[in-house]
Amino acid sequence: MEMDKKLVIPGDFLSDDAKQADEGTYVENGKVFSSVFGIASLKDRIRVVPLSGKYIPRAGDMVIGVIKEIAFSNWIVDIRSPYEGLLHISEFPRRIESADMPKYLNIGESIMTLVRDVDANMKVELTLNDQRLRPVKEGRVIEVTPSKVPRLIGRGGSMIAMLKNETGCNIFIGQNGRVWITGKDKGMDLAARAILKIERETHISGLTDRITRFLKEEKGGKPKEKEPEKEEPEKIETAPAEQEEKQEEETEPLPAEEEKVKEHKPGGILDELLGNGK
Amino acid sequence: MTKPEKLIENGIRLDGRKPDELRPIKIKVGVLNRADGSCYFEFGGNKVIAAVYGPREVHPRHMQKSTSAVVRYRYNMASFSVEERKRPGPDRRSIEVSKVSREALEPVIFQEYFPRSAIDIFVEVLQADAGTRTAGINAASIALADAGIPMKSLVSACAAGKIDDTVVLDLNKDEDNYGQADMPIAMTPEGNITLLQMDGHLTRDEFGEAFELAKNGCKAIYELQRAALMEKYASQMEGDVIE
Amino acid sequence: MSLSNEVMTELRKDYIYNLMVKGEREDGRAFDQYREITIETNVINKAEGSARVHLGDTDLVVGVKIQPGTPFPDTPDMGVIITNLELIPLASPVFEAGPPREDAIELARVVDRGVRESGAVDLSKLCITPGEKVWMVFIDVHVLDDGGNIMDAASLGAVAALLTSKLPNKRYDLGEDANVPMRDVPVAVTAVEIGGSIMLDPSQDEESIAGTKLTVTSNQNGAISAMQKSGVHPLTTEQINYIVDIAIEKAKEIREKFLVI
Repeated sequence: MEMDKKLVIPGDFLSDDAKQADEGTYVENGKVFSSVFGIASLKDRIRVVPLSGKYIPRAGDMVIGVIKEIAFSNWIVDIRSPYEGLLHISEFPRRIESADMPKYLNIGESIMTLVRDVDANMKVELTLNDQRLRPVKEGRVIEVTPSKVPRLIGRGGSMIAMLKNETGCNIFIGQNGRVWITGKDKGMDLAARAILKIERETHISGLTDRITRFLKEEKGGKPKEKEPEKEEPEKIETAPAEQEEKQEEETEPLPAEEEKVKEHKPGGILDELLGNGK
Repeated sequence: MTKPEKLIENGIRLDGRKPDELRPIKIKVGVLNRADGSCYFEFGGNKVIAAVYGPREVHPRHMQKSTSAVVRYRYNMASFSVEERKRPGPDRRSIEVSKVSREALEPVIFQEYFPRSAIDIFVEVLQADAGTRTAGINAASIALADAGIPMKSLVSACAAGKIDDTVVLDLNKDEDNYGQADMPIAMTPEGNITLLQMDGHLTRDEFGEAFELAKNGCKAIYELQRAALMEKYASQMEGDVIE
Repeated sequence: MSLSNEVMTELRKDYIYNLMVKGEREDGRAFDQYREITIETNVINKAEGSARVHLGDTDLVVGVKIQPGTPFPDTPDMGVIITNLELIPLASPVFEAGPPREDAIELARVVDRGVRESGAVDLSKLCITPGEKVWMVFIDVHVLDDGGNIMDAASLGAVAALLTSKLPNKRYDLGEDANVPMRDVPVAVTAVEIGGSIMLDPSQDEESIAGTKLTVTSNQNGAISAMQKSGVHPLTTEQINYIVDIAIEKAKEIREKFLVI
């Protein structure tokens, strides 16, 4: 661990300088104490990053949600928090009828969504009215501890950029610790393993270097005794692709929205969502 | 077992302890996968496991508090945890223990950070040997920290009592059965008492002595709790190296 | 199938399903492969017998309590076995406090049938005074962590605990403590059906997307003592025959490795 950081438990004394108290701390009698079990950093501001904990939504956060209920004019969205998100029908990028809501977004489907507002009662309002947003229809979503999201992103986005680069995947990190990975099977697998490694090792110094080395080694096909690769390279492109198609036929008629999105840039999320409802 | 002639002789108790000595303690943090935080706590012959879920949504909804989290504590004894098989499910004793244990922990939890949510604490007693409630509180307090719940501090708990007119720390089953008093307490590291119960017979002076003894016991347990949390982190680091 | 208020995302279902089509499972196992099993016995000294079982991420404790009681009127010279299992809220975010619900009762009853119908315990040797007093054997399963396939873990635990249980004769002035009279070692093997494929020992996610489960409990001589299909999807005759055959084979492996009389 770096020198200016240390592991603390709730109640540990951190500083006499109450003015510097930040997240993960509390002040009593002018002294700063840790309020969580986590890593304290005493440089500049005094803050403690918890080693675990739930996501608490804030306005402006981009998160990945899962539709868990459809109530009258609201989708109720699990955002991996003690508080469910409400996506009002009017926050859908187009005017739709209440009866049609399940056609556009049904229970069990995932979305990238934006926290529009959180009130004092922790009523969480979500929106899809933002061009950056997407329905999450392919790839994988894995979960990490929300407090570790900043580390996963890295300074100035360095970690995530490196991950994308090395795995050839597109990676979106929701503030609620849900990470959406799209790409080829092998790349997604590698990305998922790297992300879980980052999560476990956030507290150890030299993280970026270690992850870079890990990715290089894994890709370099270094013989590993522990877990022989289950995937045969040629299988990746053929069999699963066929399967995906087959599955689409069996379930909802999903549009081939991939290309479409790239073509009509401004359409973005709307096109994708409407595709589902056609 | 019938009452032994003496529970303490020449300052040594039947299990070989001195009056101010705790039973052996073993702690493991993060033992359950599904729970948000968990802890296994062995305290002499007691084996308990605590799990924390939350903050999470409150069901049923009418239990919600608009300005803070509700803390719920369920103390439950496995039917095989005691000599005579216990019928599964809550009884009057476990409901009372749950209530006072919850109240022992609530003062340190920053409940106001999480309005309308619930923090659920479940304590399962797998083996009972006098002192299950204090073992449960010790385990629960660690499980809360492990779950990332913001708290003012941990809480530590242990009992003192009286056997053969001698005030002693941390009664075992026989001492509890045949002793004269038992007094479990819970305490924050800065010395705030969050649980106090007593049954039996203590003079005013004996109470003072027992109280001091129990507080010292809590201080010793606090150090073990802290070490167990630190150890979880250390073993995580080790795991990474092996990998 | 459970009381889940957690949503299983379509994406996750697709992921597991697509792996299955490729002949793979998320944790890298073959379809007929069990997760790692560890069994530790005599973990609760207040019980007459006990076992802690880890089956992958599933973790449970089985305690056996034995005490004298009154026999049933129709079997005045036979001991009594009572199996109980509760899905306590400590073990999963979807389990709730309160009296056992249908899932827990089903699990307990299938474990019970496996032990009882196999004749694993010689009940006639549990008689103390015919018509008046017999040994009551309580098997209590305490699930600590639900990582899927509680059924097989509970059955394993029950048998492992019985194998180490003692009749507490001394405590009731009936002579020296004695082993519980065991005659057989039933082992439950559970398979799930996902999109037409059969997998043994389902993880929690596999269990929750499976259309149906089939548990087959078999004995030392390869006979079957209990079966239970659970879940709404139908199974074909071929699927059932396949599961029965493989269950008997797996039971033998597990028995030889973990449960020796």
